[in-house]
Amino acid sequence: MPRSSFILRRLGRAVFTIWFAVTVTFLLLRLLPGDPALAVASPNMTDDARAALLTQYGLDKPLIVQYGLYLIQLVQGNFGVSFTQSIPVMDVLLQRLPWTLLLTVSALVLTTAIGIPLGVLAASKRGGFLDKLVQVIGVTGQSIFVPSIGVLLLFVFGLTLRWLPIGGAYDTDAYGAAWYGSVASHLILPAVSLMLIQLGSYVLTMRSTLIDALGEDYVTLAKANGLPYRRILWKHALRNALLPTTTLIGLQLGFLVGGAVLTETVFAYPGIGRGIYEAVTQLDFPVLQGAFLLLAITVVLANMLTDIVYGFLDPRVKTS
Amino acid sequence: MRKRSLVIATLAASVALTLSACAPSAPPEASSSAAAAGNDTLTIATTTDVVNYNPLIGNSRSDYWITNLMYPHLMSIDDTGKKTPELATEWGYVDDTTGYYVIRDDMKWSDGEPVTAEDVAWTMNAVKKDAPSGTFYGQLANFDSATAVSDTRVEVKLSKPDSSIIEEIGFWGNVVPKHVFEKAASVAEFPNDGSDGGWVGAGPFTLTKVQVGQSYELDRVEDYPLVDGGTPIPAKVVYRVFPDVNTEILALQSGEVDAIANALPPAQVDQLKNSPGITVEEVTGLGYAHMTYNMQNPDLAKLEVRQALAHAVDYDAIRTVVLQDQAVSTGSSPLMPVLSDYYDDSLTEYEFDTDKARELMEKAGYTADANGNFPVSFRLIYSLQDSVTSQWAQLVKDSAAEAGITIELQGTERNTYLAQTNKGDFDIYAGNFAIMDDPVTNFTLAYLPGGAINYTYVDDPQLNDLIAQGAVTSDQDEKIDIMRQAAKIVHDNVYDNIMYTQNLFFAHSDKWDGFITQPSELLSIVNPESLASAHKVQ
Repeated sequence: MPRSSFILRRLGRAVFTIWFAVTVTFLLLRLLPGDPALAVASPNMTDDARAALLTQYGLDKPLIVQYGLYLIQLVQGNFGVSFTQSIPVMDVLLQRLPWTLLLTVSALVLTTAIGIPLGVLAASKRGGFLDKLVQVIGVTGQSIFVPSIGVLLLFVFGLTLRWLPIGGAYDTDAYGAAWYGSVASHLILPAVSLMLIQLGSYVLTMRSTLIDALGEDYVTLAKANGLPYRRILWKHALRNALLPTTTLIGLQLGFLVGGAVLTETVFAYPGIGRGIYEAVTQLDFPVLQGAFLLLAITVVLANMLTDIVYGFLDPRVKTS
Repeated sequence: MRKRSLVIATLAASVALTLSACAPSAPPEASSSAAAAGNDTLTIATTTDVVNYNPLIGNSRSDYWITNLMYPHLMSIDDTGKKTPELATEWGYVDDTTGYYVIRDDMKWSDGEPVTAEDVAWTMNAVKKDAPSGTFYGQLANFDSATAVSDTRVEVKLSKPDSSIIEEIGFWGNVVPKHVFEKAASVAEFPNDGSDGGWVGAGPFTLTKVQVGQSYELDRVEDYPLVDGGTPIPAKVVYRVFPDVNTEILALQSGEVDAIANALPPAQVDQLKNSPGITVEEVTGLGYAHMTYNMQNPDLAKLEVRQALAHAVDYDAIRTVVLQDQAVSTGSSPLMPVLSDYYDDSLTEYEFDTDKARELMEKAGYTADANGNFPVSFRLIYSLQDSVTSQWAQLVKDSAAEAGITIELQGTERNTYLAQTNKGDFDIYAGNFAIMDDPVTNFTLAYLPGGAINYTYVDDPQLNDLIAQGAVTSDQDEKIDIMRQAAKIVHDNVYDNIMYTQNLFFAHSDKWDGFITQPSELLSIVNPESLASAHKVQ
């Protein structure tokens, strides 16, 4: 299959996935118990006033009409207006999205930078002490609960050692270069937390796929040809073993975004995850729809890139 | 191979460019110079962001705390629930359907315009017309219109006599600048987000910088006549957002924040009282926690069953174990001790006595089975976000089981709980109210047919008459007597089971002093007068 056709098919699937996510989100929100007027109204609000609020929000129209209007609005690039804040949803989201991207991408980079070498190390010393240690670290990492590790890190590095700040994304009085330094210091603990909960998957996947690769005939042949072990490991076996890990990166991005909701809450990080939590408590449908759409686009794009990169790494994919 | 590398490099560059376009960017440096020596910044932690900067709409705690520093109320409140002057110096009634306020003549908006009676009247009329979702509008049921009869006097026409409305509007309603808010088509949809040249307020501080999800910075207003000396002491107040209460406490202990605006969870109070560098202030609660029994359920419509349930609760255990002795009994009366003028100590708490509860069930016609259980089961709803109620709900279930009454607990997330409450989809409702400052207003909402919080679905003609009388009685002694009679009916018929008033505790760094406490979590140590008076310990 030609490369352009391969990319076009991936794009088509991406558009369909995003439409599906939009539709499911729209319907699920309206299945939630309660309504936005009830969520924001004070206890002494009359039923008539609540009904007037629903009309103001456009929720008095039939579901199919609301859906149609929403799709038309989306096609025009309009995400709507927040029920509770009375400002455009895009403004609400763009204030927060950069921080979530910074956090998740940093965590992803950290995880791959540490997880892949650890997996390689474990596979190359299979059965040894290092292998066992890495496996213990991997399994433990998968069992960690974000808030627990978050509060522990804050207690140790924020309160006891005072090395790193507690909460927020930067110091409010920092400007220029100091601001970037402040952003970096505030990023460390949340990114490490996210990294710790993801690390296990990467290490264990890398280890097992590399062990499989090291048992392949071409590795035996390379050894017979007298190639140095290091070269066989890093140049030949690792490249093949990287394919499942590449898939994992795409898949895990969704989990990272999910984990970011809790991480952002514990570390008071001003990302979109916290925005979603606050919008859920107020049933702010437009903000929730916009946030989930943005996240769906992010995950779909990441997966599409993974597919494309996968295609380059493994030519068989393009012809399948 | 080279071509492939080029494509991968291009892809990587595209991703990097996309990310860098989305990357957070540094804020522009503030143009103002550094604060003068001795001008301190008071940093306060809160758990939520501001949802709405319009005080007529705002519904979260942070909305209230921050807008309260900019938009004055006509009245504040003291530890006994009595209203005290703020913007208004005098208030009362001209006749049964006309009330009035006299306001100070020395207050200014931060843009230099004077705060006038016209601002007050316009705010009230706009809220009545546009019906924003906040608490203010809910107080205007019997409000008809307001008129500024001079620069300092507002007269309010009522649609029917209401002896509480003048104080309730004065306490719950903020005053906003007419010359700013009138530009909006509707105050119910005006975001007041500062996008049109910043905020214009008349409190001790004005919002100047917002970093969504992170902080809200307010600068001192030099001329604020409601604080001693006429100028607030801190140069800035910064609210920082920490959604997790544990992180909030760590931030206080590490010195990143100077105070916490939210009331401390009961279990954290003793620990923080013993933490070096932390001072814990106690604040009187003005609300109550309660259970109501849905009388639309035929079993609960029987007085003996409600009485049995009321006698099957170990109130002392709840206050001791769950509330850590930080709550006081109200004598099972909606007139809590904090409302000292109204409180009636002849009403006493329902005694915890499971034998008595069994007797009452038998008197109601139920027979226990071989295991001692009566053939009834009640579904008790509560919000899982309310950790205190979630804990005592379990104790209620356990003690009712001792009396042979089955209670099925149904804790749900807040919106489901609100929907169930609104539909009457429960047998027993468990919850609490933060401020129940005016007995007539509370009784109207809670015990009159159709009342917004009449969760018992009570319709008792004698009680209805008393509440109606209380609403039109302006003589204070007579009004107190009427409301005590009404409270006795509520108590004796178990139309409501008021369990306690919780006193609240607030923590701040011992490097700061001068806070002035006011009742309730809304005012606590973060009321405008308190923050304007707070200062660093020398």
